[in-house]
Formats: sequence, C-alpha cells, structure tokens
Amino acid sequence: MEMPQYDPNTKPEFELYTIPSHSSWFRWDDIHETERTALKEFFDGSSISRTPKIYKEYRDFMINKYREEPSRRLTFTQVRKSLVGDVSLLHKVFRFLDEWGLINFGAVSRGDDSDNRDSSLGDTELKNQVKIEEGAPNGVRVVALPNSLKPISVPNSGADGSGNGKVAVAGETGVKLPPLASYSDVFGDLVKLKGFKCGSCGEQCNSGCYEYSKGSFVICEKCFKNGNYGEDKSKDDFRFSDLGGNSLTHGATWTEAETLLLLESVMRHGDNWELVAQNVPTKSKLDCISKLIELPFGEFMMGSAHEMNSCPTGSLNSLKEGQSASSENQNDVKMEDQVHDQMNESKQNGDAATEEPPAKRKRIAPLSDGGSTLIKQVAHISTMVGPHVTAAAAEAAVAALCNESSCPREIFDGDEDYLANGLSSPTMVSDPERALQVDASKMEENQSETQDASSEKNDVPLNLRIRTATATALGAAAANAKLLADQEDREIEHLVAIIIETQMKKLHSKINYFDDLELIMEKEYNEMMQLKECLVEERIDVLERALKTGVSKWRS
Amino acid sequence: MKLPATSSSKAPVKPTADNLVPIRLDIETEGQRYKDAFTWNPSDPDSEVVVFAKRTVRDLKLPPQFITQIAQSIQTQLTEFRSYEGQDMYTAEKIVPIKLDLRVNHTLIKDHFLWDLNNYESDPEEFARTFCNDMGIEDPEVGPAVAFAIREQLYEIAIQSVASAREIKISKKGRRGAEHAISSKGGGNALDLMKLFRYNSSVVRKRKEWYVYEPIVDILSNEEVDALEAREDRNTR
Repeated sequence: MEMPQYDPNTKPEFELYTIPSHSSWFRWDDIHETERTALKEFFDGSSISRTPKIYKEYRDFMINKYREEPSRRLTFTQVRKSLVGDVSLLHKVFRFLDEWGLINFGAVSRGDDSDNRDSSLGDTELKNQVKIEEGAPNGVRVVALPNSLKPISVPNSGADGSGNGKVAVAGETGVKLPPLASYSDVFGDLVKLKGFKCGSCGEQCNSGCYEYSKGSFVICEKCFKNGNYGEDKSKDDFRFSDLGGNSLTHGATWTEAETLLLLESVMRHGDNWELVAQNVPTKSKLDCISKLIELPFGEFMMGSAHEMNSCPTGSLNSLKEGQSASSENQNDVKMEDQVHDQMNESKQNGDAATEEPPAKRKRIAPLSDGGSTLIKQVAHISTMVGPHVTAAAAEAAVAALCNESSCPREIFDGDEDYLANGLSSPTMVSDPERALQVDASKMEENQSETQDASSEKNDVPLNLRIRTATATALGAAAANAKLLADQEDREIEHLVAIIIETQMKKLHSKINYFDDLELIMEKEYNEMMQLKECLVEERIDVLERALKTGVSKWRS
Repeated sequence: MKLPATSSSKAPVKPTADNLVPIRLDIETEGQRYKDAFTWNPSDPDSEVVVFAKRTVRDLKLPPQFITQIAQSIQTQLTEFRSYEGQDMYTAEKIVPIKLDLRVNHTLIKDHFLWDLNNYESDPEEFARTFCNDMGIEDPEVGPAVAFAIREQLYEIAIQSVASAREIKISKKGRRGAEHAISSKGGGNALDLMKLFRYNSSVVRKRKEWYVYEPIVDILSNEEVDALEAREDRNTR
C-alpha cells in the first residue's frame, strides 16, 4: 500500500511500496480510465472471458505476487502458471503493469543479473555504460584503429590506456576527445567489462572457468584443481566453460592480428566461410561472420570482395599502423593551406593553371594561428573563401586521408560520392568553375605529392580517431559548402529563367505590334483600292456625259 | 505490440499477428537425412522457395538432389495452407490448451498453457522470446523452436476446426450452421468458456494446480541427448 508513514519511529504495519508518480492514479478498489483505455478488451463486453472483474483479479494477483518479494524481478512466466486465460492477453496485462511501474519498479534490472545471462544482455550492458548521444554526422563512419595489438577495450574515461592511444595522445597534444558514440556501439559488446569472478577465491577467471550446472556459481580453474568447490557442490556438477568459447557475445577478444587475418581471408574467399574460418585459426565460423558484420564496413567487404582484388592486400597492413595526432594536425592544416594556395593562385590566373607542385609548407600568418584548434582553422578558412573552393578543399583533405590508409577509404567511399556530386554540379555551370575542374585534377596530382611528403613526416604513430574527427569537421564544412553552392546554383537558374522570360515577352510584344501594323496596312490598301475604283467610275461618268452632250472632239 | 494485419473483405484470415506458415521438412536421400522446422511467410513470392532451397543446400553442403525435394515439400505445405486460407474463422473467442514437449539440442522443454486462437494480436515469437528470457535460456535455437511448436499446434487446431465446420455445413445445409458450429466446436479442443469464466469462480488457479501449468526446462547432458535421439529415431522408423 502506498501509505505515508506517519511516525517514522514505530514499525509500520503496512509495507511501503514505491511506484512512480505517474502511476499515482492507481487504486486497489477501482479501475482507472488509463486501464480502461489501455486494455479495452476487458471492458467492451466482447467475451465472457474478459470482464472488468477478471481484469481486476489478474491485476491484483500480479501486483501482490510482485510485492511478496519486491527486490526480485517478477517474470511473466511466474505469473502465467497461476492464472487462467489466454497467455497473450495475460502478457499484455503484465506488460501494462510493468510499463507503469506497478510491478518490478524496485526490482533489480536484468543487467545486473548473473553472468550467465549474457546473451540477453547485449543491449542492457551498453545502456549501463556511458554513451555520448551525439553520433558522428552522416557519411562518416567511425572505426577504431588501436595502435597496439592488445584487444580492443571500451575506453574508460581515460583510465584505461592499454587498448588505445588516447591517454598517450592527451600527453602529446593536450587534445582529448570524447569517445565517439559509434565506436562504443561497435566494439562495446565485444568485450565483457566484467569477466567471470570466481565464487570461491574471488579472483578474476580470465581463461576458463567452471560453471556450476545447477546454479549460477562460477569458480576459476585454480580452485577447481584444488578441490575448492564451495559448499555442497561436488566435482561432477561443474562444467568447464572456456571464456573464448561459449557465450554469444563471446568475450570475443578479436585482436588486431585476427581481424587482419579475417579481412584478408574474406577478401580472398568471399562467401566461403569454411575457408575463412580455417584461415583464422582461433575463431569459429560463426564468430567470423558475426565479427565481420559488426565491423562498420564489413558488409562492403563481403560484397566487394571480388571488386577489390585489385586493392593490394598489403594496404591492409596499414590497419596496424598509427600516426600521431600532432603531426596529423599540422599535416591537415598544411594540406588545407596548400589547396587553399592553389585555389587562390588559380583564381587569380583565371584559366591558366599552374603546374608547379605545392612548394609552400609554411603558412600566411593569420591562418596558422597555432593557438586555435584545427576546427577553428577549418571554419576560418571556409568562411574566407567561396563555397565551391571550400568543398574542393574538403574533398582534397579527405582524399589525402584516404590515400594514407585504405581503411578510411572505405568509410569515405560513400562520402566521396556525395562530395563528388556536390562538386560536379557546380562545375557544370559557369566559367570560373571550369578553372575549378582543372584545379580538381591538379589536386589529384598534388595529393600524390603531398602524400609522399607527408608520409615522410609521419614518424610518430597517430590516433585515427583524431583524424576522423578532423574528417568529420571537414565533412561538415563540405556539406555546408555544398548547400551554399546548391543555393547559388538555384539562384542563378532562377535569374536566367527570368531573363529568358523577359526576352520572350519582348519578342511577343514586337510580334503583336507588327501584326497590328499589318492589319492597318491592309486596311489602308483596301481603302486605296476603293478610292481607285471610285476615281475610275467618276472618270467614266464624265466621259459618258461628255459623249452625250455631243462633244465633237474627243479629247483623250 | 504488433498491429493486427489488415483484413480482407472476408473474415479475418490470420490466426496470429503475423501470418506465418509452420513448415516441417524431413527428407531422406542417399543415406542423408535432413530435418528442419521453421516458419515461412506465405506472402513471399513462390520464386523465393527455390532460392531458399538452393541456399540451404549450399550452406549445409547437401547433395543437390535435395534442392528439388525441399522446394517441393515447402510448396506442398504452402499450397495446403493456402487452401485453408479464406475460410471462415470466427471472431468468437476460442481458448485452446497448448502443450509444449520438445527438445532443442541440450534443452528439454515441457509446458502447458492456454492460447486464444482468435486473438489476432497474439504472437508466438514474442511468447517464445519472453519464455527464453524469463527462464534464462542461452541457446538461441530454443526460441524459434518454441514459436514453431506453438504455430504448428495452432495450425493443426485451425485446420481441424475448418474441416469440422465444413462437415457441419454440409450436413446441416439450410440451417444456420454458424451458431450451431460454435457451440459444437467447443467440445473438441476449445475449453468451455462458460465453465472457466463463470461469474462466481476465480481466474486464479488453486495452488495445487500451479505445477501443471508451470514450464519445466531441463538441460541435458550429452549422454541423455544421445539416448533420446536414438529413441526418437527408432520411433520414426
């Protein structure tokens, strides 16, 4: 009963149960409108098996059953055995009560249950972790590129430095980025944050554990060997479960080497999972398939396994490499600036394109303000130039990123098309943009050169995440630029249409004028003809009269 | 909660929220036996059947003779299902007992509960999901097997009722067979609603009856599984 405690000191005769405040309409003695609307089957008199009285019995029974043990989560299966009626309908009532918090409100959530329930935990485990809600923008997919061979672990606010270079990066540049949401989504459930904890000695069982088959007791290998089984349990009851083996989420510690092997074998064998599984020795067929699907570009791999045979498998090795954030930052800025230079030059020169490679590595002072972040620089640059230029610049940067490792290439493949479309439409329209086309081709050449130069500069490993963040920002700038470009296009079209219309009108009115003139001319002509006839008639008259009056001499 | 499927102008045809046909395959060729049970969506084009057969054979590395046999078997069962479609399925409520008694890999399940045949929002898959979650079953094959078993039984019951309705209509031509059919149908499988839901009786079962309707889930050891399989084979041959 939800009765307030009048005197905190006396032991209350009624138990205090909590229900959420939005369910405060609930009364034992009555059926509220909410219930009537949500479960109308009981109240429309359609069947004798569904009456308000029966509904009330179901409801009261379920709530009382839950309240016998409020900390335990009541399951549907426990109640349905005690109630007569269609199980689907009962389930509906159960779910209704659950959603309104009238049952299971104080119960432990499923996520904290024993480790044996891993298969159903995929979602809840993630929910318990901190997740940043703003994901990467469209067209950019994030893939982890850990710079070590250790298994990927979900970053733990910087405390866990083994699986990724975030802490290292923070030391280098002072730039710390929040974990991108999609990273956690992809890799979060591959690693069980809580490993099995031995029931008897309390240590973590990492490699294998013995599960008690009749309950949820787990002991580690050492204890099993020592005979330390815990009370009332005998040796036979324990079942060995290898952490790498059984559960669905598979504590799948997919190391870099294995991922690499997997990708290579998929590229070579395509759909033939037997061969793929053979090549990746420690993982079963199922693991391979599920891992591949989980990888963000996994499906592309499967589909394009044959198309991409041309792509050298050696490029996959770049997955193992990393490069430093700092040099990458500078790299990006430099690339941006080079491209910017190109733009400026070509703009000034009109159609004449310069052939020289990007010589300048240093920047004009206002742009390379070391204090401001890369993002600010990008924003600054993009405001300085027109949208087409910015779009082109962004594409160049992205392309450069792609050229350095094939992994982002796949990510940006979708992005590139998008950008390319954005670029191709403006380049159709007007003269200055023909220069841009030339520039675009120039940029391709420049990329190979910048890449060579930049690869020399990259001696320190880099966290791909920062680069993808950069790419994200650039992508955003590109999108912006594209929008502006589109808008200008539309305006241009609109204006041209207006011009054409007015010309047409002019022509029309001229035609009309001439039509009128013609009419007038005809009329005049007709009048003239009439006049002529009149004159002819008069002359005849005169001649007649002259003849009649006997004018002797005929004067012609 | 799934929305009930759109009904045609005839009486609603689907006994559950999704219209799925339970298909059972048991084919033996050249010493290899292929047993399977799954649900099929009858609104998929029939060309899909052959595609499915080919893919199954390829995935399981079966000899190619299986393709035609699988496709044929599926087609036969589909056609049979379709012949029952469109029959009058009454909107009156019909509560039938469903018994589960199946073994999936290492899990043995026995259960008994009531199901309303004419509740179009009922969903065997959802029931199976809840069941597996509540009972903490890890094997992912159990859920679909449970849903399949439920569907199969519902299908059987539906067929029986349609067949008996046909007979009744034939025998009582002229009379309004419908009303009569309802009350006589009640005898066979459906429970008598009047008795169950009487005004002065409670819908809460007596405690001593709870064990009858309680699910039993057993995890078997390897030897037990082998023993059971051997017995099943002996029974079917």
